[in-house]
Amino acid sequence: MIEAVKSALIAELEKIVGSGFVSTNPADLLIYSQDMTQAEPRWPDVVVLPKTVEEIQAIVRLANKEKASVIPYIAGGNIGGLTIPLKGGITLDLKRMDKILEVNETDMYTVVEPGVTFGHMKAYLTRHHPDLMYSYAFSPPSTGVIANALMQGLDNLSFRYGTSSEWVSGLEVVLPTGELVKIGSCAVSKGWQSFVPLPELSGLFLGWQGTTGVITKMAVSLWPRPKHATSLSFLFMDFEGAYKALKLLARTRIPDDIIGTSFTILNIDRKAAETHLKAYFYPAQKKASGDPEFIVLSEITGNTENELNAKVEVIERIVREELKDVKLIGPERAPSTTPGLPFQIVGQLGAGGGLTWVGAYGPMSNWLSTIKKGCEIQDKYGFTRTSYTRIMAEGHYAGLRWVLPFDKGDPEQVKKIGALWKEQLEMVIENGFIPYKTPVHAIRTLEKRADPEWVRLNRRIKEMLDPNNIMNPGRWGAPPE
Amino acid sequence: MALDDVKEWIYGCTRCGTCKDVLDIFVPACPAGEMYQLESYYPSGKIAIAKAISEGELTMDDEDILDRIYTCTGCLSCEQQCGVYHHQHIFEIIQAVRTEAVTQGFLNPAYMVMIDSLKKDDNVFGKPKAERGDWARDMDVKDASQEKQDVLYHAGCMLSFDPELWEVPRSAISIMKAAGVDAGIMGIEETCCGGRAYEIGYSGEFTKYAEHFLETVSTLNVSKVVTSCSDGYSTFKNLYPKINIEMKFEVLHIVEYLDQLIKEGKIKFIREVPKKVTYHDPCHLGRHLGDDGVYEPPREVLKSIPGVELVEMERNRENAWCCGAGAGVSQANPDFALWTANERLKEAKATGATALVTSCPWCERNFKDAVKEYGEDIEVYDIAEITRMAI
Repeated sequence: MIEAVKSALIAELEKIVGSGFVSTNPADLLIYSQDMTQAEPRWPDVVVLPKTVEEIQAIVRLANKEKASVIPYIAGGNIGGLTIPLKGGITLDLKRMDKILEVNETDMYTVVEPGVTFGHMKAYLTRHHPDLMYSYAFSPPSTGVIANALMQGLDNLSFRYGTSSEWVSGLEVVLPTGELVKIGSCAVSKGWQSFVPLPELSGLFLGWQGTTGVITKMAVSLWPRPKHATSLSFLFMDFEGAYKALKLLARTRIPDDIIGTSFTILNIDRKAAETHLKAYFYPAQKKASGDPEFIVLSEITGNTENELNAKVEVIERIVREELKDVKLIGPERAPSTTPGLPFQIVGQLGAGGGLTWVGAYGPMSNWLSTIKKGCEIQDKYGFTRTSYTRIMAEGHYAGLRWVLPFDKGDPEQVKKIGALWKEQLEMVIENGFIPYKTPVHAIRTLEKRADPEWVRLNRRIKEMLDPNNIMNPGRWGAPPE
Repeated sequence: MALDDVKEWIYGCTRCGTCKDVLDIFVPACPAGEMYQLESYYPSGKIAIAKAISEGELTMDDEDILDRIYTCTGCLSCEQQCGVYHHQHIFEIIQAVRTEAVTQGFLNPAYMVMIDSLKKDDNVFGKPKAERGDWARDMDVKDASQEKQDVLYHAGCMLSFDPELWEVPRSAISIMKAAGVDAGIMGIEETCCGGRAYEIGYSGEFTKYAEHFLETVSTLNVSKVVTSCSDGYSTFKNLYPKINIEMKFEVLHIVEYLDQLIKEGKIKFIREVPKKVTYHDPCHLGRHLGDDGVYEPPREVLKSIPGVELVEMERNRENAWCCGAGAGVSQANPDFALWTANERLKEAKATGATALVTSCPWCERNFKDAVKEYGEDIEVYDIAEITRMAI
């Protein structure tokens, strides 16, 4: 940005939010220029922390005038480099907008501002609405509720309800041109009910990585907190057995949540949580002979102890009868994992400051071949097998990723992680899985393979909403370079 | 500690943000981050700055960068919340950057005044050394440099030079006398423990004071040193061992000693103190001591005082919100120090308590100043003061 333009822009921003909430200090710009992934740092020109919707509108209008980029930011933990400003501009840190504005007990939704985190949500519901709960990812408590839903995250009710964007029931958005628009029932009534028979305009914003507007309010579904819960664990000696069991478990439609992970990552996580020592995923920690390949955890809930026990018995019986030929240990009953969410994943965050992944949604029918290939790529690079899966929407699709914690202080490891990540990315796309929280390299890769008319439609939508291309430019809908 | 010594820890942080809130209850944990909101003020931001300075990406010739590094009360709440392998070294990283700043000659003017005063008068307040024993001028108490005694009472800098807080050491001495304890003080000969110098990056000054303290007390043949200063206590217990200083006498904080004397029946309460109080855990008496944090003795003392009703704040014990005065902040950034204190006073008031009790003169001073600045309607006491009311 030209210095004179920058100075004028900063002066105007200070008028809008106050000088204490505008920074051009290199320390701030550096921090917002990078995240925990291997993504190349790119510096913003200025960081701004608005408090109100009106301030955001004023900032967006100013950005249009000056043709400055605007990058919405909450916690920066998206593991996709999504808030790194590709073309400089204004990083819009929304953490000061942190109010839970409404909880509707009867209609079971809450309306939140962008700065509300999983941690805030949990504390608020526990204190004021103990009979209701939200769905949380296996992620740190600082994760933004709106960011997670906007970015189609997978949470602990995803087996029942799909991705977190599927339980969004309304939006308030500052458009890239500064107008404020409501989406959902709130546009035509006073409520934020979960479904309305109107055109589905939320699709103009969900999944767009902040390239089509700034979401200033979001309504998300809440659910009754189950009175009884338990977790069932299954240890599989091979992926084939796990695949058969996952399909079977899904079709019982009994669990609230089904997740699975490489046994090796669980071992490292557990050790890190117990010892608080550094976690090493590279060089590869191989599973010991006789150790399982894969562990599956399934969360079961009930209104009564009897209902819970009956559900567990059904699963146990089906496993006994249908999985006779599968090498597995379990199911074993363990305490529910839900009360501990959200939590800091100490092992995966404790390898030396770096964490990245190839995360994707795709068909259950390709799950087995894809997870095996992903692990084989990790073997090739000498990296510990770290596969992770969540069965989505009662088995209609699956979330699949390989968590890649790495040491940012080790240049060789950083280089290797980048190459491993790219190879896994190509492989998942080849196997019909579509990356989520999509890093810019993955977007460009997908665009090359996608239906050209689909790509053009994305660009037309982006151009229509954001004629000056100011919102998080260079990502979805970006004009061709 | 230099930046090279903490390199291993600098790379530990992913900036996941867990340090921002108290786990489980998810209310703010970091005063600096909470007040300024920019990522660079949170512990994870400061670690990123340390990493960038270490790698030459940022330099220290920028007042705003130094401001981020000095805007930390050293409360260690971040270390309590974080679970990753560097979690017990976060403040060490910040101190290492401070030390680097001093080494490179980028000095904070407020701290230069403190250090000059330390060198000249053995205290960080710019007060004449000759006034150090004034708090006990009209008290009948042994001069430890002249007489033998079993217990040395160390008042510390803040209590020695702040007349508004003199009631604290005077109460401590009165209670000990009432309990039949053979105690003395060093008066004018008492020196700073050096803890503040360490926290603001002057490790050489710290070592000098640590060695002097050990040498002085060792010649007195006392069985124990009792102090009302949490910073001093933490320095003796936590920092001296780091430079291999071994003390051959017991060190107790006054709350531990009071608890002990009450349980031994040596302190008899004869008056009711009809007050609803809440207790503020000083960081230096809690988190700075790790697993040896002194959390229960003050509560035991308060519960044993007739008429006192103790209620807890939401953030208590190892999750207590800082008073805001630590690590040189009250000298260098009083606005931040007072804002932090007032946040705590609001939390105290929300319990329904009419008084906040603490065991640290730095906390008490800062809370009293915050009451003056912000007008929160709450009384502030040291635990010795409220104990003495019942005797």
